[in-house]
Amino acid sequence: MSGRIATVRALAFRGLNEVVRVPGAAIPSLLAPTIFLLGFVSMFGNLTELPGFTSDDFVSFVLPVMMLQGAGFTGAATGVNLARDIEQGWFDRLLASPAPRPVLLAGMIASASVRALLPTSVLLVVAFAIGADYPGVVGLLVALVFVAAFAALAAAWGIVLALRFKTQSAAPLMQAGTFMAVMFTTSYAPLELLTGWLRAVATVNPVTRVIEAVRQGFVTGEVSWALTWPGLVAVAGLGAVLVALALRGMARSGR
Amino acid sequence: MPAAIETHALARSFKGDVVAVAGIDLEVAEGEIYAFLGPNGAGKTTTVRMLTTLLAPTGGRASVAGHDVAGEADAVRRSIGVALQEAALDPLMTGRELMLLQATLHALPRAEGRRRAEALLERVDLADAADRRVGTYSGGMRRRLDLASALVHEPAVLFLDEPTTGLDPVSRLTIWEEVQKLNDAGTTVFLTTQYLEEADRLADRVGIIDRGTMAAEDTPAALKAGIRDPRLELTIADGGADRARDVLTRFGEVAPAADGRVSVSLGGGRGQVAAIVRALDDAGLMMDSLDVVEPTLDDVFVAKTGRGLDDQRAREQEQRERSGDEQLVVEPARQ
Amino acid sequence: MRLAANARVVAALGRRSVKQTFRRPQFLAPILLFPSLLLAVNTGGAGRATEIPGFPEVAGFLDFELAGAMLQSTMLVGVSGGIALALDIEIGFLDRLVAAPISRSAMVLGRLAATAALGVVVATWFVALGLVFGARVEAGVAGVALIFVLVSLSAMAFGGLGAALALAAGRASVVQGIFPLVFVILFLSSAFFPRELMLEPAATVALYNPLSLIAEGIRAPVIAGISAGSLLEGLFGIAVVGGLGFALSALALRRRLRTG
Repeated sequence: MSGRIATVRALAFRGLNEVVRVPGAAIPSLLAPTIFLLGFVSMFGNLTELPGFTSDDFVSFVLPVMMLQGAGFTGAATGVNLARDIEQGWFDRLLASPAPRPVLLAGMIASASVRALLPTSVLLVVAFAIGADYPGVVGLLVALVFVAAFAALAAAWGIVLALRFKTQSAAPLMQAGTFMAVMFTTSYAPLELLTGWLRAVATVNPVTRVIEAVRQGFVTGEVSWALTWPGLVAVAGLGAVLVALALRGMARSGR
Repeated sequence: MPAAIETHALARSFKGDVVAVAGIDLEVAEGEIYAFLGPNGAGKTTTVRMLTTLLAPTGGRASVAGHDVAGEADAVRRSIGVALQEAALDPLMTGRELMLLQATLHALPRAEGRRRAEALLERVDLADAADRRVGTYSGGMRRRLDLASALVHEPAVLFLDEPTTGLDPVSRLTIWEEVQKLNDAGTTVFLTTQYLEEADRLADRVGIIDRGTMAAEDTPAALKAGIRDPRLELTIADGGADRARDVLTRFGEVAPAADGRVSVSLGGGRGQVAAIVRALDDAGLMMDSLDVVEPTLDDVFVAKTGRGLDDQRAREQEQRERSGDEQLVVEPARQ
Repeated sequence: MRLAANARVVAALGRRSVKQTFRRPQFLAPILLFPSLLLAVNTGGAGRATEIPGFPEVAGFLDFELAGAMLQSTMLVGVSGGIALALDIEIGFLDRLVAAPISRSAMVLGRLAATAALGVVVATWFVALGLVFGARVEAGVAGVALIFVLVSLSAMAFGGLGAALALAAGRASVVQGIFPLVFVILFLSSAFFPRELMLEPAATVALYNPLSLIAEGIRAPVIAGISAGSLLEGLFGIAVVGGLGFALSALALRRRLRTG
């Protein structure tokens, strides 16, 4: 068992190498969610003037969306890195090793969850600097848990695509997938203010629950179980599906 | 007759004081095949790029087909055909599309261009594959297409940069035959190569370049003769090697050779062989094998630069294998 | 080389560029797909913005947003043209052109022809999309024609910038890295939201951003009608971008030819 944990840790650290050893390359993904936040708020900030908007501070309203975008991008990057490893043959080496497939998967996903904290930190610092409301310790912790969880989901998504297509040109699909998952929710405005078709999509989109779970601390200042448990269910459900697909993809990749 | 290619102190340096070509003088006569021989990094490709107007010289001057490469670049381009190392082919185009584009680039009238393209595709045996995308071609096919595209406007001077590097032996022979045929029909050919056999077999004259300067230039035969006399290599049976050496010293300088053989220099030419055999026979010595070995261009290279061209290639190959690079370089058979 | 011969070369290279684009569908899809998805989610999420006091008179938020999507698409057309040129450089195809007796500008002009063609595709797509989902072009058929002209010119202008980057960097991966920057720059313009309703300091930047001028030039026929003022502003914005692209391309090409 300790051998497996060691493997997971080793793989997670290799994922961190990307950030530590090529620092210049990591800067775009580090800053992207923050830049997106600033731009988005500049453009749509005045939506708060609409009657029915649940917050009078657009930054606090939208910050959770950007946190999840950052997590999604980090997770997608895991998929891109795996696709690259597959293309270059390094992944075959991993598969030929005695490490069990679920352990390999856990390692890659764990690294994504940890890495997602980096852009999130930058985002939080800037957001508070421009006036976002402080969610309280519990609110912040809940938010970070969901950020790490969403990064894991995005990583699983990226891994599934990498195993299926075995090429780095699947990268746009990985990135677009997470981007759309986060945007087709109550990302711009509360449910009631969304236009017909988007309201329907957001209602059924599990990621909406995740956004609301992250958002509660920033917008209301407190955390309630009623807003948290749907998010947990969404993460668990998506996680079960994606991890199962990823495991099946790994089992298939020998052929 | 004016020279087809002429350079005076042609030089090129890059940023950071990197001197790729340090002042080269060469002259290629019309109708010649000239081989530019040297190891990787010697400056061959840089020189070719200057002669084909792809790169501006930073010193000296050069003219091709009577036109200055710097001042009359367009006139040079009209007279030259170029097939470079990277086989500049677009994988998404078909062979035929590339030939027709090349014809357009050289302002050939449409019908004429089409006719020549078809003829050339036929000639390099790509007529069947002409409508397939270049991305599906093998290495040999790509080189043949590249060569064909360089000929569509019937240039006076053909530049080939390492035309057979990385090709299998059959494709290599095909390219050599084509080059010979072109030259027989009057095209001047300037080719760069790191393969001794290629230079030896094809070239009228060889220029040896090392670290950006010309180390030697002459016909292959003259270069080899200038190094040393041919040697006779023998295997003596039944351990009579020491006695054999005493006999052989009378004829010329004796030295050990590979595989336990012994060799002697033939200062008087191959005619001495008969006398040597008789002398060994008189001494009661038996020979298991006997070969006359000419100096090779590698010997010439060693003599002129102090390093072996083949050794270097072997070392580079080793380095590549160690670093995990899987590029295969097919070695031509040694003479 | 004489003019007629050069024209043939530009046409041949243009045809090749167009064929290339459609033979690489994985590059084509993002040009239309991403902006369309963004258009959808912007319209769905911020659609009620039309109720905010100060929002321009429009039939619907989609009518306002279409111009932004088209502008974004043309920027991506420019980037993809740059990627294609960078790939040509990487595989040595540009050498083939340099060693041929064609004029230096013919090499880049051929590629710009392809970007213009793609501009037409972009305009067709978004006008059709808009009409299907209920938008109205106030200026009618003449307005649609104007949109096609502006979008094609815009695509060419950004093609010039893309070419400049490709010639300077010589690597497709570098040009591809510009992708995200496209989105960022659009945030600082009135492409997706009226400038008067944006927050500072972005609103001020948007005031001087040539992209705002292009977006508003494309937008005017949709929400208002033919207006010489907006048209001229749009053309001016395109000229600024195009001029910059042209100058940088010429510089980069000259440098590349000098250093081989």
